[in-house]
Amino acid sequence: MSNDVADSGDAPTAILVIEDDPVITEFLRTGLHYEGYHVAAAGSGEEGLAALEQGDFRLVILDVMLPDIDGFEVCRRLRSAGFRVPVLMLTVRREVSDRVRGLDSGADDYLTKPFSFDELLARMRALLRRSGHGRANRRLHGGGIVLDEETREVWRDGRSIELTPAEFGLLTLLMRHPRRVFTRETLLNRVLGYDYDGGTNIIDVHISHLRNKLGDRPPRLIRTVYAVGYAFHPEGEA
Amino acid sequence: MKARRGLSLRGRLAVLYAALLVVSLVLVGAYSYWNIWQLFISSKSSHLRARAKPVIAHWLAATGLADAASRSLDRRPGDVLALARDLTSRDAVAVVLDRGGKVLADGRRLPEEPSPPAPDPQYLRRALAGENEVTYRSRVAGEPVLVLLIPLRPRPGSPEILGVVQLSAPLTDINRILFRHGATLIALLAVILILGTAAGFWLIGVSLKDLRRLLTACDQVSRGNLAQRVHPVGRRDEIGQLTEAFNRMTAQLEAAFASQQRFVANAAHELLTPLTGLRGSLEVLLRGAQDDPAAAGRLLRGMYGELSRLIRLCNQLLGLSRLEGAAHVSRRAIALPEFMEAFRVQCEALAADNPLVVETGPDVTVSADPDLLKQVLLNLLSNALRFSASGTPVTIGWKLLPQAVEIWVSDRGPGMDERTRAHAFEPFYRGKNTPATGEKGAGLGLALARSMVAAHGGRMRIESRPGSGTTVYFTLPLQ
Repeated sequence: MSNDVADSGDAPTAILVIEDDPVITEFLRTGLHYEGYHVAAAGSGEEGLAALEQGDFRLVILDVMLPDIDGFEVCRRLRSAGFRVPVLMLTVRREVSDRVRGLDSGADDYLTKPFSFDELLARMRALLRRSGHGRANRRLHGGGIVLDEETREVWRDGRSIELTPAEFGLLTLLMRHPRRVFTRETLLNRVLGYDYDGGTNIIDVHISHLRNKLGDRPPRLIRTVYAVGYAFHPEGEA
Repeated sequence: MKARRGLSLRGRLAVLYAALLVVSLVLVGAYSYWNIWQLFISSKSSHLRARAKPVIAHWLAATGLADAASRSLDRRPGDVLALARDLTSRDAVAVVLDRGGKVLADGRRLPEEPSPPAPDPQYLRRALAGENEVTYRSRVAGEPVLVLLIPLRPRPGSPEILGVVQLSAPLTDINRILFRHGATLIALLAVILILGTAAGFWLIGVSLKDLRRLLTACDQVSRGNLAQRVHPVGRRDEIGQLTEAFNRMTAQLEAAFASQQRFVANAAHELLTPLTGLRGSLEVLLRGAQDDPAAAGRLLRGMYGELSRLIRLCNQLLGLSRLEGAAHVSRRAIALPEFMEAFRVQCEALAADNPLVVETGPDVTVSADPDLLKQVLLNLLSNALRFSASGTPVTIGWKLLPQAVEIWVSDRGPGMDERTRAHAFEPFYRGKNTPATGEKGAGLGLALARSMVAAHGGRMRIESRPGSGTTVYFTLPLQ
């Protein structure tokens, strides 16, 4: 379901962010880049429309409050110019009338600021799936392991394996980004939540259980990167 | 209308009205009763006198008493009796008294005729002293009688008094008439009172109906329904004016409330934008960007900027709310030429790319808070600089008005269209033009500056046209 580059083998999914606030643009660019998207940013409506003509974007993240023309107008224009790319609107306004206006102007979804990054990713995945650019097959494969994100089932060489939610989360994250090294801190934040206040040793404990259940012996699929963290190598440790 | 603390206003007014009605009716009734009584008495007494006068004159002439040497009545019992009998009629009894007050003759022919009252010595003395028209009331066997005393003189106008004729007439018939009159009066009074009070109660109720509608409307308003209006009564009386005043008040309240709500919503939206940046940056950091020093640095710098923006916004909001009361204005005499020169020197670093020109105006002293004046000028100057292309001048000047000093800050930036100019002072309103440099503000700067000027009793206005720059004027009171 992720548009992960290495996993799918396709070119990175290009996203256009039309947002005038430099800080929001920056975190979207960085955060989405880590998720495997290719992000282009435009600071105004006209700039965004121009960028849309240039590149082949799979999704547009559009702020409503822009310095020149507002997001509703941008959306209307890009629709009347024939673009069918999914548009996700961002705004601080929560009134139903604003949502209706946004959707009426041609947006596909509507997210109010401040939003959770996870929710943004989930909505982007949903939009990409609907437009046919997401992955219909929600199974991850690698190193003889098959992981179904929908049914939360895991097989190793055809043998079903029972995992706890934390172990399943860890394995999913590692398999989605093969070879990427995750620090214990990052794994902790993304699997156990930002507000988990225990130490990072818990990650080592979960990884150890996960390896045992998977029968992951050297050369390991889940490799320990000394002094940094862990990474998933589908071809096994060299 | 609920009765609060005893009688309602309507009840109180009705009671007051009825009491006034009773008092005025009783006064009018008593006065008319007394008047009629007086009229009856005086008409009866003058009637009796008029009848007696020729009889006495005839009698004097017939008896020759006027010219007789001996004028003592005691010696002529027959004449005296004849006089008494002549004067006695169906409705009056005559008695003749001598100078000592002794009864000489009684005019009654039949014993069943009403007996005359005994002469009252007090009134008798007055008659004997020469008073011609002594009239008084007395009682015989409990029945009221009218008594007239007529002195007997040998000739009309003669000082000599031979004796006194006492005429007495019963007042029973007059009393009967007056009693009927009184009874009628009381009955009428009762009818008038009942009808009047009922009519008054109804009239007051009609007048108070509009008042009650107002009360219902007030209740609605106090429950928060600010859209409540009262249908105009169509009269220019107090209630009509009250209704209009009520409608004006609620309209103003509604507008003020709506603008307050808009302000709060706008403020919240303004706060949410930097919070979005902060939250998103934090999440991205926690999701892994913390492991990349370059990305982490960019995100952290952005977060720092958003925090600064939040703090600035909060300070501006606080400034706006503090100025509402205008309590923080500590006025001092400020000599404008010196103040402006000092300001120019301070701001030269700020206006590095643009020449800052002070057009020195007349040497005047204004009464203002120097800190607030500096903030206003800084605010306008930074706006002007933000919209000025590098190298174009920003001008500050002032001139004398009849009652105040007008200060202006002028730039040669892109100017504002009519719509932007009209809304420029609205909190959180931002024009369409992107500033040439710098970050975007929250749209509070001009609102804040205008509040500061207003706190001094001054006014602020903008002159601007697209393409020809912007000049902001404000007035300050003279020292």
